[in-house]
Amino acid sequence: MSRRQLLSLVAVAAVALVMGFVVAGQVKAQLLTPSNQVARYEVLVRSVQELETTNAESRRRIATLRAEIDALESAASGRSAATQALQNQVADLRAHAGLTAVHGPGVEVDLANGVPGPAAGGQASYLVNYQDVQDIVNLLFAQGAEGVAVNGRRITPLTAYSGSAGEVLIDQGLPQSSPLKVVAVGDRNRMVAALDDASALPDIRARQVQFQLRMTFFGNPDVALPAYDSSLQIPDVHAT
Amino acid sequence: MSVWLIALLVALVATVQIRSQAEVERSLVGIDTTSLAFLIDDLHRANDSLQSEAADLQAHEATLRSGTSGAADQVLSDEADHLRAIEGLVPVHGPGVVIVIDATGLGALDLQDAINNLGAGGAEAIAVNDHRVVTGVAIEQTGTGVAIDGMVATPPWTITAIGDANRLAEVADLMTKALSADRRVRQATYRVEADVAIKAVVSARPFVYAVDS
Repeated sequence: MSRRQLLSLVAVAAVALVMGFVVAGQVKAQLLTPSNQVARYEVLVRSVQELETTNAESRRRIATLRAEIDALESAASGRSAATQALQNQVADLRAHAGLTAVHGPGVEVDLANGVPGPAAGGQASYLVNYQDVQDIVNLLFAQGAEGVAVNGRRITPLTAYSGSAGEVLIDQGLPQSSPLKVVAVGDRNRMVAALDDASALPDIRARQVQFQLRMTFFGNPDVALPAYDSSLQIPDVHAT
Repeated sequence: MSVWLIALLVALVATVQIRSQAEVERSLVGIDTTSLAFLIDDLHRANDSLQSEAADLQAHEATLRSGTSGAADQVLSDEADHLRAIEGLVPVHGPGVVIVIDATGLGALDLQDAINNLGAGGAEAIAVNDHRVVTGVAIEQTGTGVAIDGMVATPPWTITAIGDANRLAEVADLMTKALSADRRVRQATYRVEADVAIKAVVSARPFVYAVDS
């Protein structure tokens, strides 16, 4: 074997060695990692599903307990005028807190995702977000709504909205996404006129034009709102 | 022979790689792992709160079932006090934060966002410039500024929030940092207090349209 052949063999061996390291690195970084990602993702999804099941069970339990308490209080109020007066006060307070199912004239607002477009204003601008829901609910309350629900979830004096693009979290409920329905009981003519006002809900109107975000609304002589089924705890607040 | 062996190995590695990647992408449709992690955090907090509420309701139910003299009156009286605080009908106090925002040009939507951020961060009672704010109180843009329940709240806005002081401090810190970067804001500061008082109350409004189902 000549000196040149020997050098060629060494060069090929070196290249093969380098390639071996590169391939091994690739396998470690991009072949094994995805399988770990899948496993990690599945664990996260299972956690979400379990937590959502617990969430739904807890809310059903709360609704049942509130109904049982209401029945026991009604029975007690039948035995005492003072208890009856107290129960009437609490019934009124519960209604204003959203703890009672109500119905009456009102409006229904339907909101749905648009279509992806140019990225101006963020890539998720075509999706319904929690600020959209917040703006609509605030507008309806400003026009005298006496009760509001979003996708069957009653709004209370403590309600807060959060979420990421396309996902709306209201209080302790499960995430909601498009399409969303906001229902309000109150003066339907006043609420419809406010929703019709071109200067109201500027962000939603701009995205209706730019991303075909969909918002429709109509007055209804009788809409129904469910009772709130979650927590209204205020452990840090004390009456003065 | 060697060339075929290498080609076979490369094809095998590529196939495994593509299948693994496809599996990940199919699973990740719609939501990423970071969002899932945040969702899990939110659900844990929500479920803790729901279980605590259920435990309280069970205790109320047990008291009512005990049939002891005055049990129903006590449960009803306690609930009335609790609901009046939630609905902003009585003055309240407790730990919390006080945020001061001195700005020109901030609108009703900015104030609504700030209040919602505090609510989502655990605020249990809120007031702005001595106007009590609960969800349902109108915050509107008027020709003379931002009005809360029909009364203009002239800047600087002093937002008082009662709740878990640690959580509220985190929210206040993020809010004031973001506001400080806004050209319209001259100054945004906050302080944590062991006991803040909210004296303002909301006026009760009887229902005109809503009827019990």
